[in-house]
Amino acid sequence: MDDHEFCHRLKIEVTELELWIQEGWLAPQIHEDQRCFHDVDLARARLILDLTHEIGVNEAGIDVIMDLLDQLYGLRMITRDLISAVGNEDTAVRVRIRTTLEKHLASR
Amino acid sequence: MSRDPYDILGVTRNATQKEIRSAFRKLAKKLHPDLNPGDKNTEAKFKEISTAYELLGDSEKRARFDRGEIDMTGGEQAPRNFYREYASASSPGEPFRSGGGFAGFGDADDIFASFFSRRARAPGASPFHAPGRDRHFSMQIDFLDAVKGTKTKVELPEGPALDVQIPTGTRHGQTLRLRGKGEPGSGGGPAGDALISISVRPHRYFTRDGDDIRLELPITLREAVLGGKVRVPTPSGPVDLALPPNSSSGKVLRIRSRGVPRGNAGAGDVYVTLKIVLPDRPDDELASFMKRWASGTTQRPRKDMEG
Repeated sequence: MDDHEFCHRLKIEVTELELWIQEGWLAPQIHEDQRCFHDVDLARARLILDLTHEIGVNEAGIDVIMDLLDQLYGLRMITRDLISAVGNEDTAVRVRIRTTLEKHLASR
Repeated sequence: MSRDPYDILGVTRNATQKEIRSAFRKLAKKLHPDLNPGDKNTEAKFKEISTAYELLGDSEKRARFDRGEIDMTGGEQAPRNFYREYASASSPGEPFRSGGGFAGFGDADDIFASFFSRRARAPGASPFHAPGRDRHFSMQIDFLDAVKGTKTKVELPEGPALDVQIPTGTRHGQTLRLRGKGEPGSGGGPAGDALISISVRPHRYFTRDGDDIRLELPITLREAVLGGKVRVPTPSGPVDLALPPNSSSGKVLRIRSRGVPRGNAGAGDVYVTLKIVLPDRPDDELASFMKRWASGTTQRPRKDMEG
């Protein structure tokens, strides 16, 4: 969807959208010099709306939250990939990794 | 959805719009699914508080709800995909990725995956700890129990009943907090609190006005004309009140310090409004006296209303 439809579905002003993109909170795909929004952008924008309108977070707060959330989701993805990679190994390897992890945990 | 929206947001029925908004914000911070990627339960809870807030956050809808014109089902939330569903899906080229939250990974029966889910939950063993959630209850108490204070129990859906000390002078709509009686914390975090919203049943003849008690006291015509001692109930037991002669209906008499106790600072007062009650049946003697009673025809009690 384009800028217009995106703003319409979220009931926001274009200026607000411009701010979000400028701040880096949203990064729509660019297709032939046109911004192109997908469902993921819509979901992310709704989160930003919840944070600003419902929870009362200010601009600086959104910046911090979105940055930390991106780190969180990024880490979760890496962790999940790691789990799945380890899951393909033999039981012996998995048990060994787990034992090591438990040792790390115990030493903390 | 059948739960009471006030209970869902943990506010009393006479909470201000500001209190409702702040309660919702507090819950939304904790329960927003995108801020809790690993916790499957948050989505349903978030929808529930959003629906409740949709209703109570708008003073007009709230008034209609209070009058019983609409209910919670009127404001069901439209289905919505949260950001976490996209952020968790591996899509190459996803622009937002920087490099944890451990809960919610796959099947916990895998040797490796179970290590992470266990880490997220095991009490004591992990560096993650979080305070338990508050639990919200509501209970009704009798008028005099609220005025004088009492000890009572709240029965819980699960677990042992909670002992609750109702303090003297508890008001309708007040919330009592029992520290540490909420949900247990995780990873050694402290337990949440139990919040009990109190509603006070009305009394047969007492009403509450801050720390004062008001009541209407029926008196006979004879008592009104001649005055004398009348026995008046108060929350702390009956009191003999000296009624001055010639007391009209509507006259208000005060009995000091017999109202709602204020801890160590005395108590409110009791205000007695007189109400003259004529004999149950028409009385011939009274009627014939009234016909003879000359000044009864000259009194003008409505003179202020004329002209």
